[in-house]
Amino acid sequence: MKKFLSHFEQRSGFEIALAVFALLYLLVFAGLPLLYNIMLSFQQVDLMEPATLLRPFAGLANYRDIFSRPEMHQVLINTLLFVGLSLTFQVVIGFLLALLFAQDFPLASFMRGLFLAGWIMPGLVVGVIWKLLFAGDFGVLNHLLLTSGLMHERIFWLSDPSYSLYAVIIANVWLGVPFNMLLLSVGIAAIPADLYEAAELDGANAFQRFFGITLPMMKATLGAVISLGAIMTMQQFDLIAALTQGGPANSSQVAQYWSWQLSFQTFEVSAGSAVATLMLVLVLVIAVFYVRSTRSERMV
Amino acid sequence: MKRYVLFVIALIVTAVYLFPLYWMYITVFKSAAEMFQTPPTFWPAHGESHIWQVFTERGMGKFLWNSFIIACGTTAVTVFVGTGAAYALASVQNRWTAFAIFAVLVLQALPSSLMVTPIFTAFKGLGLLETPRLAVVIAQITKTLPFYIVLCRASFVQIPRELRDAALVDGASPSRAFFGVILPLAVNGILVTAILVFLQSFGEYVYARSLILDDQYQTATVGLSAFIGATKIDWIGIMTYSAVFVTPILIAFMLLQRRIVAGLTAGALK
Amino acid sequence: MKKNIRATALALGLTFSLTSFASLAASLSVWAVDEPDNYTEKMAREFVKLHPDVQLTVRKVGFSALNDEAMRAVMSGNGPDVIPVDNPNTAMFAARNALLDLTPYLAKSKVIDVKQIFPGPLKNASWNGKVYAIPRGANTLALYYNEDQFKAAGLDPNKPPQTWDELYSYAKKLTNPAKNVYGLAFSAVGDEEGVFQFLPFIQATGADWDKLNNPGAARAAAFWQKLLDDKLASPDTLSHRQSEAAATFINGNAAMDINGPWELPAVEKGAKFKWRVALLPTEKAGGVRASALGEQSHAILRTAKNPQTAFEFLEYMYSQRNRNWNEFGMLPPSKDTVTSNPKWPDAYKTFNEQMQYARPRGPNPEWPKVSKAISTAVQSVLTHQAKPEQAMNTAYQTVQSIKK
Repeated sequence: MKKFLSHFEQRSGFEIALAVFALLYLLVFAGLPLLYNIMLSFQQVDLMEPATLLRPFAGLANYRDIFSRPEMHQVLINTLLFVGLSLTFQVVIGFLLALLFAQDFPLASFMRGLFLAGWIMPGLVVGVIWKLLFAGDFGVLNHLLLTSGLMHERIFWLSDPSYSLYAVIIANVWLGVPFNMLLLSVGIAAIPADLYEAAELDGANAFQRFFGITLPMMKATLGAVISLGAIMTMQQFDLIAALTQGGPANSSQVAQYWSWQLSFQTFEVSAGSAVATLMLVLVLVIAVFYVRSTRSERMV
Repeated sequence: MKRYVLFVIALIVTAVYLFPLYWMYITVFKSAAEMFQTPPTFWPAHGESHIWQVFTERGMGKFLWNSFIIACGTTAVTVFVGTGAAYALASVQNRWTAFAIFAVLVLQALPSSLMVTPIFTAFKGLGLLETPRLAVVIAQITKTLPFYIVLCRASFVQIPRELRDAALVDGASPSRAFFGVILPLAVNGILVTAILVFLQSFGEYVYARSLILDDQYQTATVGLSAFIGATKIDWIGIMTYSAVFVTPILIAFMLLQRRIVAGLTAGALK
Repeated sequence: MKKNIRATALALGLTFSLTSFASLAASLSVWAVDEPDNYTEKMAREFVKLHPDVQLTVRKVGFSALNDEAMRAVMSGNGPDVIPVDNPNTAMFAARNALLDLTPYLAKSKVIDVKQIFPGPLKNASWNGKVYAIPRGANTLALYYNEDQFKAAGLDPNKPPQTWDELYSYAKKLTNPAKNVYGLAFSAVGDEEGVFQFLPFIQATGADWDKLNNPGAARAAAFWQKLLDDKLASPDTLSHRQSEAAATFINGNAAMDINGPWELPAVEKGAKFKWRVALLPTEKAGGVRASALGEQSHAILRTAKNPQTAFEFLEYMYSQRNRNWNEFGMLPPSKDTVTSNPKWPDAYKTFNEQMQYARPRGPNPEWPKVSKAISTAVQSVLTHQAKPEQAMNTAYQTVQSIKK
């Protein structure tokens, strides 16, 4: 412990005290359940046995089990698509909106405030609304696309295996845009205005200003938004439950929903925990990426 | 001129974005038959609604109050505990803080739906299920705290370090420097993140569903699932309930947006 | 009339026999899947009126969360006294020693005579020869059809489709894309609801959940596939729940609908046309009849603090079965149920007749896994990711490995 403390300068004692409490809290209330989940993935779990930590050790059997399942391949691809596409569109749309609303025009901040609506709505509600919008026969989305001539045949968004995953992604992007937009707005607002003025004097055009000033100055915010966005996307659950439940025929199945289905619908708790542990590995990668990106940054 | 072009663009974008919300509101005033009608109607034909009936029959007043209390509790503790941690992780940079940031991210990796079983069992052992709303607050903080720390850290990082050092040179204690100099500068980021945390907690579902065993303390989101029965689903009821759930917060933000969202641009560091 | 008096007398007698149990001073915690009709809450209120000294609390649990909440309750030993169980899942809970064996209580009961309970519901409430749950009622599937659209298509409303071929040709005649009308609505959604709808079709061919290798199972899947391929049923059948299928029927966007009695109030309220209910068609003329058997049962957890009071609450709910149809849209669970002046008398007759062919799902303690295997197979056939024979054989192998 002494060695641990000696890593810090004398003056940082106050800051350390602030961080330690939060970390301890997380270690206890989030770390222990997490460990429990990992343990389950190496055990042979008999459902409804009284809760205990000691169960027969199963080695890697649960992992072999899930990798031998026919849906594994699809779930893997779907999960990567779901996280990758959701994140890309959320960040790009969010950034564009943040830039738009950073301009000076009437009611800009009022309209930006309206975007919070997407964040206020619980996933469950958003799922139900989008289910109505996506309905193949009476849904308003098909109606608009047909009458505007953009499409000649109905798309059965939730029932056609070639669209179902994208339907879920569209709804998820809708849900995530306000979060990205708002935080990127804060980041943009914090960029000193004289930087732009100086650049303008130097004759830099809008693109050069964006890539030369805005983007580099936003690195910290972008890193935080992207890594949190990735983790939040991997936790998106209510939306999938309300929209497709991973169907039809696993075409929109993603890891988090699969893990839950295994654990709590078919009660294959060990297999479900193994999937969850694999997800953890993915988050680990994201976290490493994030920590590396923060290495250079600190209060300047 | 440019201002008005931008205004029109923003108006269109906002309208497109809010369309799902609009759809929820007009569905409230449709009949079950109209809801499934093709082509869909963009304005309800009869304008019937069951808002008051849903509100009273479902005891929404109580549910909303519980959601509100839980969201307030979660936000208060998160901000209290998280702000300092975010500051610490922003101002000190070494192996340990890198590891701490890493841990903060990884510890919230799994969805609540997978964390809830061990939490339920542990909370039962600790007797926390006797105070169900507190139990949800404690569980929910494990989700909001990492979120809050990561985001607030980003706003602390943008504050010039010299400001703190200058305060320390002037003889201020580290805590004085934090509260007197740094905190006021980061207040926008803190405020916005706190609002996001509040809204997230207000819509929390999984922990409330499983940790609150007495319906008296149940939250509004869980009340929503009562419309989905084994064989019957009351769509209009769901939409009505959702609208009642969302509208007060939406109005609150309309009224407060000047101070909250508009403050984002005003507080830019020069 | 005579029947009526007898029913009233019976009900009064029951009330008396219950009130005579006087002091039960106890607390009882009951879970309920909250449906629009509030069955459990109503029953609880009435029960408390008869037993003012019982402290009864009802907690509403969403249907989709029921199994997983119950499992947590059992694991932590922090459960309620009475839980509702969707009938195919009784075996799962019973086999894992979570439920109280009701057999000794039933032996003494003056209210519930097990021998009167229909064999189907009883089988779904039992495991290894012991009774673990009391069915609150029963339901099954039949074919709703739109009389007006039948006439418009030149079909005789007095002759609903009798066979699959007829169902197909009727659906074809009734389908009218210009008016957004499909011939048939049903649910092939990827969970228990879709399986509930699919099983009657395979059972009509001689196959069953544990005999999916029987070629009939593939024929049934191919038949569903054809209905969807030819757009006689909405492609959204794959994501529609039964209530959504019913909504399209009520709205005139589907001329026929395979659904249960619970939709009758909604159909009556919403349908602006004449409608009727017919038996489900058989595969070939004179073929085997089959239908699904659904509804919740009530069970007592083994950890219940007041099993005696809990059982008396179960008795009370069962004693009210005469009200099942008219008040709650459920069919009677037993032979000795008397429904006086049934609403929708024709539908009542049809559903009761259909009930005779209703078959229990399982029982199997791994029913959720079986169900998942079947629904995966059905959905992969309907989306053309697998051939019917191949999908059903895969499901058969899965079910075999589960049964072991």
